[in-house]
Amino acid sequence: MNMPEHAPQTDPGPLLSVRNVRKTYKLGRVSVPVLYGVDLDVARGEWVAILGASGSGKSTLLHLCGGLDRPDKAKGDTPRAHITFDGRDLTSLPGSQLDRFRSRDVGFVFQFYHLLPELTVLENVTVGAMVRTGRIGWHRERGAATARAKELLEAFGLGHRLRHRSAELSGGERQRVAIARALINEPTLLLADEPTGNLDRETGGAILDVLADLRERHGLTVLMVTHDAAVAERADRVISIVDGEIGAPSAPTLTGG
Amino acid sequence: MYQALLTRKYLTSKIMPLLAMVAVMLSVATVLVTWSIMGGFLKVLLESGRPMVGDAVIHWPIAGFAHYDDLIERLEANDRIEAAAPMTESLGLVRLPTGQIRVVTIKGVEPDAFRRVTGFEDTIWWRPLNTPTRKDHDRDDPRLGDHPSMQFYYDNALTMTRPDPTTGDSDPAAIIGIELSGLLERTAAGIYVPQTTLRARPDGEIAVESIFMPRNGEIGLTLLALDHEGIPIDSISRRLPVANEFQSGVYEVDSGTVLVPLDWLQRQLRMDEAVKVNTKGDDIFGNYEQGPDGVLRPKPLEATGVAPARVTTVLVRGVDDATPDEIKKIIEEEVYPGFAQAHEGVPHELDILVLTWADQNATLIASVRKETGLVLFIFGIVCFTTVFLVLAIFWSMISEKTKDIGILRALGATTAGVAWLWLRYSGAIGVVGSALGLVAGYLIVTNINAIHEWLGETFGLVVWDARVYYFVEIPREMEWHKALIVGIAGVVTCLFGAALPAWRAARMRPVQALRFE
Repeated sequence: MNMPEHAPQTDPGPLLSVRNVRKTYKLGRVSVPVLYGVDLDVARGEWVAILGASGSGKSTLLHLCGGLDRPDKAKGDTPRAHITFDGRDLTSLPGSQLDRFRSRDVGFVFQFYHLLPELTVLENVTVGAMVRTGRIGWHRERGAATARAKELLEAFGLGHRLRHRSAELSGGERQRVAIARALINEPTLLLADEPTGNLDRETGGAILDVLADLRERHGLTVLMVTHDAAVAERADRVISIVDGEIGAPSAPTLTGG
Repeated sequence: MYQALLTRKYLTSKIMPLLAMVAVMLSVATVLVTWSIMGGFLKVLLESGRPMVGDAVIHWPIAGFAHYDDLIERLEANDRIEAAAPMTESLGLVRLPTGQIRVVTIKGVEPDAFRRVTGFEDTIWWRPLNTPTRKDHDRDDPRLGDHPSMQFYYDNALTMTRPDPTTGDSDPAAIIGIELSGLLERTAAGIYVPQTTLRARPDGEIAVESIFMPRNGEIGLTLLALDHEGIPIDSISRRLPVANEFQSGVYEVDSGTVLVPLDWLQRQLRMDEAVKVNTKGDDIFGNYEQGPDGVLRPKPLEATGVAPARVTTVLVRGVDDATPDEIKKIIEEEVYPGFAQAHEGVPHELDILVLTWADQNATLIASVRKETGLVLFIFGIVCFTTVFLVLAIFWSMISEKTKDIGILRALGATTAGVAWLWLRYSGAIGVVGSALGLVAGYLIVTNINAIHEWLGETFGLVVWDARVYYFVEIPREMEWHKALIVGIAGVVTCLFGAALPAWRAARMRPVQALRFE
């Protein structure tokens, strides 16, 4: 795969830094607080797993880190929330720059794959490049982007499935397509939301092997949320989240069911 | 670029866009067909003028004007004018063989000159016919076949005479509008069939009459003669045989016009050439002289000159590429002023009326134009419901595709990009739907009469009855600029319909879209 090779960082400062992040959802007239002031650092090239039960706020935290949502604004004496990526404060970026951030710096992998059902496997991967390049850029980069998508899919064992639609793929294959799509724009950070949550243990294990390989060979920073301690233990570091708050740091060898 | 890809994929994989496309197609086709038929009706109306009056008329009603031969000579000397013909027009009463009396326009024409200026020859109805008219599948038209009488009637029309059966002399004869006599039945095929009429006689008996106007029909005309100042002199009633009937294509003309020879009408109206006399004399008590028998009698009036014949109208036809307005301008600016200066007693160039066919029928044409606008407006409103149909379909599709929107936003798609995706998609539906609608509309318009005929034969559905609407066929005119306007309106309709759903899609927060169930 044509990913940037992992190089030792001279400044080991965190790639992603989360400070005082609160998030409250409105369900009709009811306010439902989900996160209560979360702090988190993720170093470059690190694989961090956020472990938590369903409804604990882990997916919300992931979405905030990926610029899909914005944290609550500071009220009263609560400190202002900051989510900093590579020195840029995402909370103060305008919408257009946040869109740009999502298309260039971060890749998402979801539990339910979220492939576009009308597109083929190859188109599902290249669509990320289309979004990034725009109409004019796509004409210039089409060849390179398509070659890269094929290369990624070949590497994930899907070279023979390029013209297939997602409905014709197994769960594991779909997730590998989703990972290829997340990597098409060579992001620095991969955000994975329960990437194995919808797969059997064997297939899920294979997906985790792919993530481990990406991290080891290409220095990709991975932030993964899961409710499965066995999955979480594949990460370098595990952070548990309980009722919207970060618990005590756990050893990477945390075990559980 | 992803918008183009997804538009193509969505278009070919969903039933909803097909429904929207069909709605747009039907709307576009409906408006185009309506506009083309109404436009065709207006065009037929406008074009029916040339066969009847040429491109323009020079008109001085009631009293008429003299020296028209010179005016015609001056007109025909202009290289943009093909021909000109004199005509005298007067209102009168016609008594028909059925006993009915109607007010008609009586037009005195010179057959040869009239033919050169108008399409009069083609409007003569009773003539030999080799092939049946388009709707006359049963060959019911009495003009078909080798009956020698049809040629006889036709020749009579060209000379405006009819031989007297007893003397053999050619008498001046009239050509009447085909709808005037009431003795013909117009069939659904648009042809005329003579009818036997029953008439109650004063003695109480019922008379069965078989009258065919060109053979044995006569009309009684009552006219009002006026002097050169327009003052009534006399009312005259004359009987006149009918040489033939004409069909111009405009009901008002065909049901209320009688053509007669110009010189005959001039004589009746006292508009022919006459000797001018001195009626005043020198003595207030009159001038008398003693005759050879010694009896005193009024002295004969002294002839002072000749009063030339007068006509009320000169018809003018331009060369083939000349427009009526151009001919009107030439008459007003180049020809008539010289004529008015050359002759005393003719109307001044500022007084004379120079009218095109459209000028003469301005009220009728304006009302048809207004009706066309009204019908289009009503159909436009009906078709505007397509906006809501597209809106409903897109609202539903965007709800179905909310997750796709979330995925695209997660990949970095902007709000404008997402809005453009849906607008582009609706635009594509509009373009395809409009294109199909234009094709459908074109096919319907060009085959409207065949379709109508098939509906009539198969289901007995006759919307355009030639007996009612007068035109044998449904008039139509497909104009590309109209098709373009309707097509663009179809696309704009789609964009309008999709605007609100597209805005809603664009406003959706990525997380909200991804979590949508």
